[in-house]
Amino acid sequence: MQGATLDMTAVQVDGDLLLPAHSSWLQTARRHVEQVAQRAGLDAQRSARFVYAVNEAVTNAIRHGKPDGEGRISLRTVLEESSLTVHVQDSGSFSMPSTPPGQDAESGRGFALMSSFADEIRLDLRPGATTVTLVACLP
Amino acid sequence: MSSFYVISDDTVEGDVAIIAMGGEVDLDASPALRERIFSHIKAGRRRIVLDLTDVTFIDSTAVGVLVGAVTRLRESGGGSVAVVCPEQREALSVVVPAGGANIVRQVFEVTGLDAGVALCGSREQALHELALAG
Repeated sequence: MQGATLDMTAVQVDGDLLLPAHSSWLQTARRHVEQVAQRAGLDAQRSARFVYAVNEAVTNAIRHGKPDGEGRISLRTVLEESSLTVHVQDSGSFSMPSTPPGQDAESGRGFALMSSFADEIRLDLRPGATTVTLVACLP
Repeated sequence: MSSFYVISDDTVEGDVAIIAMGGEVDLDASPALRERIFSHIKAGRRRIVLDLTDVTFIDSTAVGVLVGAVTRLRESGGGSVAVVCPEQREALSVVVPAGGANIVRQVFEVTGLDAGVALCGSREQALHELALAG
């Protein structure tokens, strides 16, 4: 959370929502995805589940990832005929963290929830860019 | 800012702590939740009810807080945590149908049950579960 201050704002650039990498912005991320899910025609149940999955990914990016030079992470939404896709990207280089006992259980839990609540998950891991992609298939 | 709020935080007969919350319990809110629960444990309470009737969202960090509480209780000689999460919620006079967007219950069904946390439909049921657990 270094680099993210209280007077930061979220910024929208084309289809990307750039959020300060701080937990106080999670609600904004959820509202944003809710709106897109509604536009995509997902029902209340599916929408809530998909928003949940994206929240987990954004939470991970904030907790374990690294913000960009301006203290932000990005959410890109792609709405297509048969799918709604959200890419959550941070500037960290993903590596298996050495975590204290118990922490693994929590990460495992978060991941189990993410995979239960999205139709598809993809991970793109590169130096300086970690992207979690979540997909909801549209009816 | 998170929309999380505490509705009430009481200790009732049998030295049971009942914390009722509302809103969205995410990474921003879970430290406050942890503080509340652990202050009860520090005060010697071994039975804790978390009433999530008015909670509309809860994430894995919050579930992690509950797991941490269960662990701490075990280390302190025993105790239990019960969560109230009705299958049907009435919020602002709108009835949420069973199977509707009750994400909180779904989260517990995916993770909470193996965390040693009892999932209950009402406060009465929660208090009953805690009494049974001893």
